[in-house]
Amino acid sequence: MKVDNSLPLEYSTHQNKMNIFGFWVFIGAEVMLFATLFATYFTLENRIGNGPSGAEIFEITPVLIETFLLLTSSFTIGLGVHAMRLGRKNAMITFFAITLLLGLSFLGVEIYEFIHYANVGAGLQVSAFTAILLTTLGTHGAHVTVGLFWGLFIIMQVKKRGLTPATANKSFIFSLYWHFLDVVWIFIFSFIYLKGMM
Amino acid sequence: MRELFPRKLVMGFVFSLVLTIAALTVYFLDMSYAAGLTVLLATALTQAAVQLIGFMHVGESEDKVPIYLNIYYGIAIALVTIFGTLLILIWDM
Repeated sequence: MKVDNSLPLEYSTHQNKMNIFGFWVFIGAEVMLFATLFATYFTLENRIGNGPSGAEIFEITPVLIETFLLLTSSFTIGLGVHAMRLGRKNAMITFFAITLLLGLSFLGVEIYEFIHYANVGAGLQVSAFTAILLTTLGTHGAHVTVGLFWGLFIIMQVKKRGLTPATANKSFIFSLYWHFLDVVWIFIFSFIYLKGMM
Repeated sequence: MRELFPRKLVMGFVFSLVLTIAALTVYFLDMSYAAGLTVLLATALTQAAVQLIGFMHVGESEDKVPIYLNIYYGIAIALVTIFGTLLILIWDM
């Protein structure tokens, strides 16, 4: 394995560069997945049947908490990658752990939000609107859930094996995934919640 | 300790908080639908760019051209999907 020491560890081998590029292709596919969900949401958002509309069920407080939790977690994982590039393993693990705790809190608030929707009569089968709303939010939430487990395994590997080209590469790719989830949330926050409450 | 908080990331974070607060004006202020949507489009797209360039390190590596091409391709398909759907099903053209 040829290691190029002029580059950050996560880019240092040919395989590493290919992995990062491959992950960008995956993110491109994820962009398209969420685009179809948004297209469907914009089509169905007014088809509320006998159920509630977005303006009636959205609550600003939990949405704001979720937004700030996810924005901050995107920042802390950025700090984690920065610490990794400095070779500060413990600082990196701390930042990654903070990121996952923020992600877990996000998920907790989102679960509260879903329970709230169920309580006010906005379950999955109530109308075309509630179906696509919960599908879109749920798809994002499922990605966060997967990310929590993925991140946990990354931390365990770095703890056990230290910072090698392989573990640094995995950590960097995980950070790309996490930032991407934040980007998706920004669009959900803007074009589902704020647009709905405007 | 200081070296763990690079200026670029801290500024990116502060900027993303400012953009979130700017987006919130559509909720707290009384503005027309068109004005509100313009604010949301501007803040959301800037916010996404901050994440991509500031946090995701696009453009740092030597294969940045294929990475950018891939992002543009994803965005193009996303826009065609969303606006194509709106054109046919909502705006009835």
